[in-house]
Order: sequence, then structure tokens, then C-alpha cells
Amino acid sequence: MGRAGRRALAGVALVGGALAPFAGSPYRAQRGRVDVARLAGVVAREEDHVTAVELAQWIKDRKPGLRVIDLRAADAFDAYHVPGSQRVDITTLPTTAFAPAETVVLVSDAGGHAAQGWVFLQALGHRQAYFLRGGIGEWMDDVMSPVAGRQPAPTLTRYFGGAARAEGAPPPRGPRRGGC
Amino acid sequence: MTRPRAYADPYLAGLFLGLVLLTAFLVAGRGLGISGAFAGSAAGTVSMLSPSRAQGSALFSRYLGGDGLDRAWLLAEVAGVIIGGFLSAFFAGRLRAAVERGPHIGSRRRLVLAFAGGAVMGLGAALARGCTSGLALTGGALLSVGSWVFMGAAFAGAYLMAPVLRRAWR
Amino acid sequence: MSAPLPVFDAGSARVLELAAALAIGVGFGWALERAGLASAPKLVGQFYGTDLTVFKVMFTAILVALLGSFWLARLDVLDLARVSVPDTFLLPQLAGGLLFGIGFVVAGLCPGTSCVAAATGRGDGLVAVAGMFCGVLLTGLLFAPLARFYESTGHAAWTLPEALHLPYGVVVGLVVAAGLAGLCAAEWIEGRA
Repeated sequence: MGRAGRRALAGVALVGGALAPFAGSPYRAQRGRVDVARLAGVVAREEDHVTAVELAQWIKDRKPGLRVIDLRAADAFDAYHVPGSQRVDITTLPTTAFAPAETVVLVSDAGGHAAQGWVFLQALGHRQAYFLRGGIGEWMDDVMSPVAGRQPAPTLTRYFGGAARAEGAPPPRGPRRGGC
Repeated sequence: MTRPRAYADPYLAGLFLGLVLLTAFLVAGRGLGISGAFAGSAAGTVSMLSPSRAQGSALFSRYLGGDGLDRAWLLAEVAGVIIGGFLSAFFAGRLRAAVERGPHIGSRRRLVLAFAGGAVMGLGAALARGCTSGLALTGGALLSVGSWVFMGAAFAGAYLMAPVLRRAWR
Repeated sequence: MSAPLPVFDAGSARVLELAAALAIGVGFGWALERAGLASAPKLVGQFYGTDLTVFKVMFTAILVALLGSFWLARLDVLDLARVSVPDTFLLPQLAGGLLFGIGFVVAGLCPGTSCVAAATGRGDGLVAVAGMFCGVLLTGLLFAPLARFYESTGHAAWTLPEALHLPYGVVVGLVVAAGLAGLCAAEWIEGRA
């Protein structure tokens, strides 16, 4: 590498280094961009969430690229979680890698955290993301232990090993309720 | 025998090395790490002879965890370093059975120093959880605080020791 | 594209990852040998002020990887959060660094360069490798009194921007400025040697 080569290299380094302070954060998770108008439209069209029955159908149909992410605490997850779901702490959700082809469904206790996580993923460019509207609570109520006579999807309940319960009976194996 | 080629420009070599490091970041999400291969091999060796001893050592147990890929990665890397070094020397006409030493020191003494220095580096790298490749280069480029501390300390230690070893090298 | 490789199949991904490790090692070994750093007398010239190849190679590599990783991350080609940053353990790395530096000048080679030296036929490289293996082995076997020190002052993946409370890009700029100044100084020092 002659003198010219060294100078060129040093020049590139100088420019690269001089511009760096003005470039913002290199971390993807710190550069989320929210198109609020677009998101409002998605929410209005109810294309931001899925129901428990829809999710159950997706799982049964082995929807390609489906990835169910559970945002609850470890003990709640260990007690019960949607089959095939993986646990991710909400603080690590921004740095979790998702493939463009994946369909991500976020699950939390009652859907709150999952809805927030949905916004995070949208801000980071993951458009094919949804949240389970009523969280694990809805999953239990509609899929695993629906009230007899008002079962939304009996075949799905059977598929996942759930059972109907009598009107007025408490849920058999209730995961912690009242969480977010 | 071919006349050995001149060494490459250090900036060119550094550029290439930096690009190798970048490739590692892109492809594997990690950097280099030679001393880890030594620690991993030592851990593996001890584990074969006395698994309890190996697990009991805070140093070795790190390399015997569930992620066996870590050791495999490090060994594959070192294998590559050996191959790469060999190939480069081969094409440059620098393959030579020799003991490189300063002008005023004998081979035997040189080898004793090489062993002793290696052992001390082994201790230092074990404590620091890395060496020049894993800490100074990788950690340096990723702006890790401990890596820069290591780099400063290593240069300081070397400069402090150099006068003591003057007879061996000059 | 961002690190690491997508796991479409665990088995083949592992083989690919090891093949990548091998290839990366080949590049590393090649670069070290080309620069002449497998020759101990040349390497220690750094610490006698006559041959600053060690500093030039090391800091050029650091600057290239630093700028490269920053800009590739900024341009969304690299996911910087997924690259493992070496942990910080302040006191062990300070003490270990000092010891390492001392051993470095005694042996004339570091772990990477000793492997390359051994690979090219140098007996001193081979013996240094043996010494390092024994050193790590002995350290690991007699580690009990060091264990507490080893785990002290830890700070997983702590970066200079975090420690200095400065934006990442600012630290990059400062390191580049210091690095370029250092390389200019190295040229000047060598010119006077």
C-alpha cells in the first residue's frame, strides 16, 4: 500500500469518524419509527390483533412462519402457555430477531403488554405482527375451558386438550389473572 | 529455495484483519478469541480425566456448559489460524524450521523464555477472560470497557517488562 | 442481512457456523503472518520503539472494525445488539492484562501469533503454545483462591458510550481521532528510530 493508499484509508476513516457523532444510534431498537396515521388505520380495521379462536386455528393448521411470543413472567409461562409459544421478556422484545416471513403473535395476561409490544414491533418494521386480543385470559375462556353451551369452537377445544365447563363453574387451571 | 517475500504493509494487513473481524460480526454475531480455545481445550482435557474437577473450577466450568458450540467454534477458529498462517508462509517462502530469537541469546534459553512467557500469558488471559484477539481487537472494536482496560494494561505490562528483557532481544 | 445466520435447520446451520469459524481463522492467521507478526524479534520491536507493526496492525484493524460495525449497524445491515460484546471485569482484566503484557515480552508472541509461528515451523512458537496451554491448565486446576477475584467487579457487556454517558457515534469519533493521531505518532517514532 503506497503513500496514496494510506492517505485514502486515513481519509475514509476521518470522514467516517467525523460523521459518526451526527448519525444517531447504531442500535436498531433505538431507531424505531412510528407512522402513527398508518397504525391508527390498522387498529381501526382491527388488523392489529387476533382472537384466541383464530390463533388456535392457525396453530392447528400449522400456519407457516407462525411464531407465538409470550410476554408474561417465567412462573406464569411455566404454569401454562399456549402450545408452541416461546417466552420473551418485554425488555428483550426490541432486540429479538424476527424473520420478514414470520407471523408474530404476541401474548400477555390480558393483552395489554401484548398490544404495547405490537407497537414496538411495528415501529421496528415488523408489519406481520399481531397480538392476542384478550391475552391468555381469552385463550382460557374461549379455547381451553369455554362455558358449555356457548363454546366458540368445540373441535379446537378438543384439539388442545381443553374441556367445556358448566355455567358458573370457575376455570379449572387458572393462570394468574389481572396481569397486563 | 525461493527467496522469502517482504512482509506486507502493516496498514494493509490491519485493513484485512479488520474486514475479517467485521465478517465475523456479520456472519456469526461474535468476534475472534484464541485464548478461549486454549482454556476450552484445557477444560475438555481435565473434564475427560476428572469431570468433577473440571466442573469445580470456575475457569473450566464456563467452557463445559450447554453451549458446546462455543468450544467447537473456538477450535475451528484456531484450526483456521494454523492453516491460514501456514498457507501465507508457504506462498511467501517463509516456511522454516527455526527458533527465532534475539542476536545475543541461545536457542535453549529462548525456548525456556517462550515457555515461561506463554505460561504467564495463559494465567493473564485466563483471569482477563481473553487475549489480544478476543479483547483488544474484538472488544476494542465493540468499545467494551474491560477490553480497553485490558489493552492498556497489556501494553503497560509489556513496556515495563521490556527493559528487563533487553539482553534477550537486542 | 444481520447476524447470526437464520436457523432454518439446526444441524446444517451448526456446520455452516463452524465452517465460518474456520474461514475466519484462516483470514486471521493469514493476516498475522503476512504482517510478519509471527516473528518474535520483529514483534517485540514494538516495545523497544523500533518496529511499531504491532500497534499499526492492531489499531488499523480496530478502526476498520469499529467504523465498519458502526456504519453497517446504522444502515441496518448489521444488528449490533446481536453481536456479543466481551464482558467487563475491571480488576481481573487489569491484573490479567498486566500479566499478559509481561508474558508477551518474555515469550515474544501472543496466543494468536504463537499459533501462526508454530504453523510455519518456528520452534519458539510451538513452545509458547505449550507454555500457554500449561499455564491455562495450571491456572484452572489451582483456581480456587482466584475464583472470588475472578468474579469481582463484573459488568456484563458494558460499552464506553454507556460508561461515559456519551452517544455511541461520539465515542466512535473520539476513538477514530485518537487512533489516527496514534498512527501518525507511530510513523513519526519509527522515522526517528
